[in-house]
Amino acid sequence: MCGISGIMYKKGSAACLAPIGRDLVGMLDSLAHRGRDSTGVVVAGQDVDADLIIRVWTDAGERAADVFSRAEDAVARAGGVVTSRATWGECLRLAANYEGEVPLLAETLIETEGVELHSIGRASEVVKDVGTATAMDGRHGVSHLRGTHGIGHVRMATESKVDVSHAHPFWAYPFPDVAVVHNGQLTNYHKLKRHYEDLGHHFQTHNDSELIAVYLADKLAAGDSLEEAACGSLDDLDGTFTYLVSTQAGMGYAKDRWSAKPLVAVETDNIVALASEEVALHSVFSEEVDRVEPQQSEVMTWSV
Amino acid sequence: MVSLDAAELTTRQINTLLKKLAEDGEVIEVENPRARHNMAVGILRPCDIHIRGSVGYYSASLLDGPSITIDGNSGWALGENLMSGKIVLTGDAGASVAASMRGGEVFVGRNAGARAGISMKGGTLVVGGDSGFLTGFMMQKGRIIVMGDTGEAVGDSMYEGVIYVGGAHGSLGSDAKVEEVGEDELIGLWDLIGRNGLDGKPHFTKIVSAKRLYHFDSLERLERSAV
Repeated sequence: MCGISGIMYKKGSAACLAPIGRDLVGMLDSLAHRGRDSTGVVVAGQDVDADLIIRVWTDAGERAADVFSRAEDAVARAGGVVTSRATWGECLRLAANYEGEVPLLAETLIETEGVELHSIGRASEVVKDVGTATAMDGRHGVSHLRGTHGIGHVRMATESKVDVSHAHPFWAYPFPDVAVVHNGQLTNYHKLKRHYEDLGHHFQTHNDSELIAVYLADKLAAGDSLEEAACGSLDDLDGTFTYLVSTQAGMGYAKDRWSAKPLVAVETDNIVALASEEVALHSVFSEEVDRVEPQQSEVMTWSV
Repeated sequence: MVSLDAAELTTRQINTLLKKLAEDGEVIEVENPRARHNMAVGILRPCDIHIRGSVGYYSASLLDGPSITIDGNSGWALGENLMSGKIVLTGDAGASVAASMRGGEVFVGRNAGARAGISMKGGTLVVGGDSGFLTGFMMQKGRIIVMGDTGEAVGDSMYEGVIYVGGAHGSLGSDAKVEEVGEDELIGLWDLIGRNGLDGKPHFTKIVSAKRLYHFDSLERLERSAV
């Protein structure tokens, strides 16, 4: 199954940044019956006192501190200056000033022993872990993250192994701030993956959903709008999917031509909320909501 | 009238109580459903239940006899396998509303999602607004009445049964065809939608199976004797 959710507070509707992390944890918690293997979020539109947020994970266990030191050295080697550093077990969050090309920094990091790179964003970060939303929040303090928008996922694994690496969201390495959560299965994954590898893209996992992130980021880099990129995916991706995408500029959804995977959407004057099921919307709205169920081959995007 | 507060009860407690109260002949009201799944399932006798708010997946499913009104929307597969009775939903229904229903009536006040009436085996589904992709997919008996438009591939692979569309219908599904509506048939439909509180006398488009995919002549011997 899998469950997905997204939320955006429209510009000017709040004097300060919105509780995106808290809302996503609430929505994902109410979708726990759709998957308990892993949970993850991207919180975007954060107020960051640096050029980039870098999220690193390692499976090095007790030697995690060594990996984190090497990751910091790698940032420095690429020309970045770390301005703040926080760790949660095997996760490292760095804020850094960096004026170079992000792909160069990303490459330097993934070539560092023990480092797995979950995201680089100008105003967003990916947080993911195995287990439920409540467990993830307890370990990583996601509910404290504030921003303008974000997307999240609870996973019931079908296509690849259950671990932190294969939890959603998938960041579109090495494109800053582009990330995807996906409910469904892609049947032309291997074919498209080879195509993008031939173009020089680097995949970090064996999960089909990572392809959607790379696909969209590639289109965006080529000059497409988010809506154009998402519309293109309806023809180019084969299989079943309802996915949500988050970028620095906004977020959106696309639903496959078979209408196979659920989604409900509600838009008020202040908020856009998306979720696999209406029950998740009730964790954001206290009243009954006027939601719509997007139909097949439907795409919608919003800008902050 | 007995009122249950869903916020205070587990789904299993709600369904157990509903069955008990139905046996006692009570009129029942459920508050605060908040789009939870499996609300009011498995009740096998006539009773009156009013759910004040949206419900989640498979709600009002596996029923035989009840009359259930839901003020709000539903998730996927509302009224699945209804045998008899009536379900009235004031809002939008998710995908696969009235899946495999065999009798009784399901009324959706606004729009229905994809695969409305999938594999219906009897009874009547009325959609006050539009219905989605693959309406009446693999339908085997019964009738679907859509006041508004349908999505693409309407009546795909239907065996029997009838789909009436008041607005514009999407492309015809595999082996579906349009057939002329009889005058008496139309008057009967107007009467039925009027009883459901819907205005207007649309000239419905009638969609049935073209039966080009029927291959009963190639049945096994035992199957032939059953046809």
